[in-house]
Amino acid sequence: MKTLTPLVIAMAVAALALTAAQQQSAKNWTQPHTPDGQPDLQGIWTNYTSTPFEVPDEGDRPDFYAGDVDGTGRGTGPSSFLTDTSDRKLTKARSLVVEPSSGRVPIMPWAEEVRNYRLTHIQDDWVNFTPWERCITRGVPGGIFPAGYGSGYQILQGPGYVAIVYEMIHEARMIPIDGRAHLGSSFRLWNGDSRGRWDGNTLVVDITGYNDKGTVATNVATQRVRAIPQSEQLHAVERFTRVDENTINYEVAIEDPKVFTSPWKVAMPLHREPDYQLFEYACHEGNRAVPNTLSAGRAKDREARAASAR
Amino acid sequence: MRTSHLVSAALVVMVAAGAHVAAHHSFAAEFDGSKPVTLRGTITKMEWTNPHAWLHVDVKGPDGKVVAWMIEGGAPNALLRRGWNKESVAPGTTVVIQGFRARDGSNRASGGEVTLPDGKKLFIGSTGTGAPGDAGGRK
Repeated sequence: MKTLTPLVIAMAVAALALTAAQQQSAKNWTQPHTPDGQPDLQGIWTNYTSTPFEVPDEGDRPDFYAGDVDGTGRGTGPSSFLTDTSDRKLTKARSLVVEPSSGRVPIMPWAEEVRNYRLTHIQDDWVNFTPWERCITRGVPGGIFPAGYGSGYQILQGPGYVAIVYEMIHEARMIPIDGRAHLGSSFRLWNGDSRGRWDGNTLVVDITGYNDKGTVATNVATQRVRAIPQSEQLHAVERFTRVDENTINYEVAIEDPKVFTSPWKVAMPLHREPDYQLFEYACHEGNRAVPNTLSAGRAKDREARAASAR
Repeated sequence: MRTSHLVSAALVVMVAAGAHVAAHHSFAAEFDGSKPVTLRGTITKMEWTNPHAWLHVDVKGPDGKVVAWMIEGGAPNALLRRGWNKESVAPGTTVVIQGFRARDGSNRASGGEVTLPDGKKLFIGSTGTGAPGDAGGRK
């Protein structure tokens, strides 16, 4: 411990010096603009992080949320291997959920029960799969929550529009910024209806018009929030603020009075990575997960019938 | 590389076990973590498809009969960034594959470690699935 102290102090001093350097760099940085005058957010950005989605709680069941509902995912197995994030050094903050201050999403109990039912009955019916498992979408805003791979986002801007290409699951999102109104309540979409505007240098995107078939988060990294249902009253407001050459601060405020007891907010940086390549992720091409999982369920049914006949 | 990343480096958290990664679907719904399998065979094909790559392997049983197995891997973009490429396991390559059997009893498995003829090991599996030994999705 004694030998570690000078090292810790040195690291803290170095960190402070670098933070000061970053602040200086940001101070010297000027927001560039597109030819039509929009603040320029264009480029390839990634969202790798080691920050947990929520502040962990001892009552959490991470294996269950990952789909290991009966504990058979445990046991001996292959050694740990590198993932495609392993050559990166990532910061780890308390949680991506920054509001409420607990860092916990205020999920209503009924919604957790629906999530639990879907996870434990996934072998019974395709409707119990998340939209991502069905290769429909990772959702909006869920598609921008870190998954650990397929982490690239390309932002493109043209007159009247901001477009975001999501590497996973190669979704392209068009955000009108020409002041047009929302589509109206007769339109119900998996990813809602995005409408953007500029608040200074911040792109603000208001999203309504969701259907009630999706989930606000689909991947395991979102832990307890994965597979939580959404209602047609889901409403999200995203804010994209470029704070220096290489960083966009991303925030999203989420409310759904049928699902959450209060609004909540996620905040995280997006890092510019000009050399990162977005690879095609044609999700339906090899998606055998749905038939194979249902097949596993039917095998279980046959075993149960055979056992009861004995 | 960039100032923000230099700050990250100073405040580094090594994340091999803590990175939040996720596969497309849950391991346990499809595969049985209590049924590990070791397959020695010859590659016949690798499908570079999303959301999961599939490795096809002919495995000769004790009775001499050849059985075709399918091994589920991670997403091609994750495998590429992990060091795989189309030459990694050309058809005809003999390999040893560690994995876990499908719950429906068919000749399918969730792949893990793949050992090549020269002893080199590659990991073909998804991470964050809840598969045994998978640190990616766990705290």
